[in-house]
Amino acid sequence: MRRPLDLLSKGGLGCLLALVAFALGSTVDLAGDPDAIVGPRLAPPGPEWWMGTDNLGRSMLPRVMEGVGTTLLLSCTAVLLTAAVSAAFGILAGYRGGYLNEVVLRLVEVLYSFPAIVLAVLVAAVLGPGQFAALASIVLVTIPLMTRLVRAAAVGVSQRDYVTAAVISGARLPRILGRHVLPNVAGTIAVQGTYALSVGISVEGGLSFLGFGVQPPQASLGVLIRQGGSYMIAAPWLIIGPGTVLVVAILAINVFGDGLRDRLEPRETRSLT
Amino acid sequence: MSPLLVVDRLAVDYRANGRTVRALDGADLEVAAGETVGIVGESGSGKSTLGAAIGRLLPRTARVDGGVIRVAGESLFELAPADLRRVRRERLGFVFQDPIASLDPTMRVGRQLTLVLGRGTGSGDVAAHLDRVKLDARTARSYPHELSGGMAQRVAIAMAMAGEPELLVADEPTAALDSQVREEVLDVVFSLAATTGTGIIWLSHDLAAVARRCSRVAVMYGGRVVEQGPAAEVLGRPAHPYTAALAGSAPATAARGTRLEPVPGRPPMLTGPSDGCSFAPRCAFVIDRCAHERPPAVRVGDQDVLCHRAGEPATIGQGATT
Repeated sequence: MRRPLDLLSKGGLGCLLALVAFALGSTVDLAGDPDAIVGPRLAPPGPEWWMGTDNLGRSMLPRVMEGVGTTLLLSCTAVLLTAAVSAAFGILAGYRGGYLNEVVLRLVEVLYSFPAIVLAVLVAAVLGPGQFAALASIVLVTIPLMTRLVRAAAVGVSQRDYVTAAVISGARLPRILGRHVLPNVAGTIAVQGTYALSVGISVEGGLSFLGFGVQPPQASLGVLIRQGGSYMIAAPWLIIGPGTVLVVAILAINVFGDGLRDRLEPRETRSLT
Repeated sequence: MSPLLVVDRLAVDYRANGRTVRALDGADLEVAAGETVGIVGESGSGKSTLGAAIGRLLPRTARVDGGVIRVAGESLFELAPADLRRVRRERLGFVFQDPIASLDPTMRVGRQLTLVLGRGTGSGDVAAHLDRVKLDARTARSYPHELSGGMAQRVAIAMAMAGEPELLVADEPTAALDSQVREEVLDVVFSLAATTGTGIIWLSHDLAAVARRCSRVAVMYGGRVVEQGPAAEVLGRPAHPYTAALAGSAPATAARGTRLEPVPGRPPMLTGPSDGCSFAPRCAFVIDRCAHERPPAVRVGDQDVLCHRAGEPATIGQGATT
């Protein structure tokens, strides 16, 4: 029996969808042009600018909307890349074992040994600051854990009788991996994907905050917090807005991820004994 | 004509954490086309390893330490991957102990059957294969967790038999099932194999049940096949002391009021090739040479027996099964 998601993780999913809708609003300039100067500088929240204005007199609301969009899009793209790479290597290493397994595990351990933000700064230093550096950083930071867990799940699945049955029926490797192993580790990939997404959001935030990630004038949550940081005393709304959104996004994703994990894992086959 | 399956002096070691365990210590077995053979032995006697080796399905920790397996004349351990796949697809089928675990939980039954049957399979073909194992065509729409153990095992049998293999290896296919369902499942396996001319290797620890269904029986002990021959002969006139002890300890064969004789001692845990007969420490007929001389195969009646004293009158096979 599949249990439905519990209330908390449903709330998390709702929050996440609301944030996506919020971000999509900026694509149609729902709250105005994020780059337009609309009022006085550093004005507190008011009826014309619900989240206040920044040091150039731009309304914060459309900027936060754009920022969430940038951050989510960047993180989601990175997580999809991570999932693809981790699934491929994790499944192959877990199923084949031996030499390939050792190489994959050692490479992953090297990546794992770097603290996330140090690795991200390193990547930015090599690739040059920008969106691409942020994307590559998120991928490299999230690959190790996901690869390891997918590999572990694949090792378990590979020993199951249905995989052996597929082998004995003469199935080729792509079919065994694609039709039998992948669907049975998909739950692990999905759950780890949600965690990778929240890690991705914080890596983007951190890297852009340091100035190595997304570059102004394009807004992202990290960029907005960096810009607001200079006026923290005079205009705290500049960091409260994007900061709150960042916290809510990460919290919502983690809560949803927990619910997803409870539902999908551990997904043991029912045994008769 | 060469037999369908030849296992010749097969030795297999398992290595884990620096320890070596010898699972097969020179096992010999021959199965002719269409023949039904029961392999009987205690846990740890090597029968599952033998079964896995026949499909070249040994786990990574296992190492073949000598011997050959020939399936229809082709040496299994020397085959290139593509040839191995062909041999598996065309000649071999496997049925496992836990029926639910042998079906992929993420796929409907019909879809799994279609995968095994190959491209261009319609729902009619799936229904036909389900019908062969006496299952309703509607079963195709079920997920494995929705099936009972007996139904799941029939699906697994249908999948194993879908390619009409020449040899079906069934590793205790009914051990996880209720006793009522067992006979039904066995009926399905044996009647289906009879119509397709498929040979069966049935791994079990129930000597009497195996003897009822199979034409031949092979008894394994300590990684070797210590006795093989026609089922009725092996069960009725065991020539190896271990077979005799096994027959004497089986509840099904004992007449009412007779005491069951347990086999004294415990099965051996080999770490390397055994020096002599691995049953010697538990054997009631042990003599000096049993401890340091490996018994060669001897022909006694219709049976091949690995025992130094086989064939000697007034020793083995007299007391245990009367």
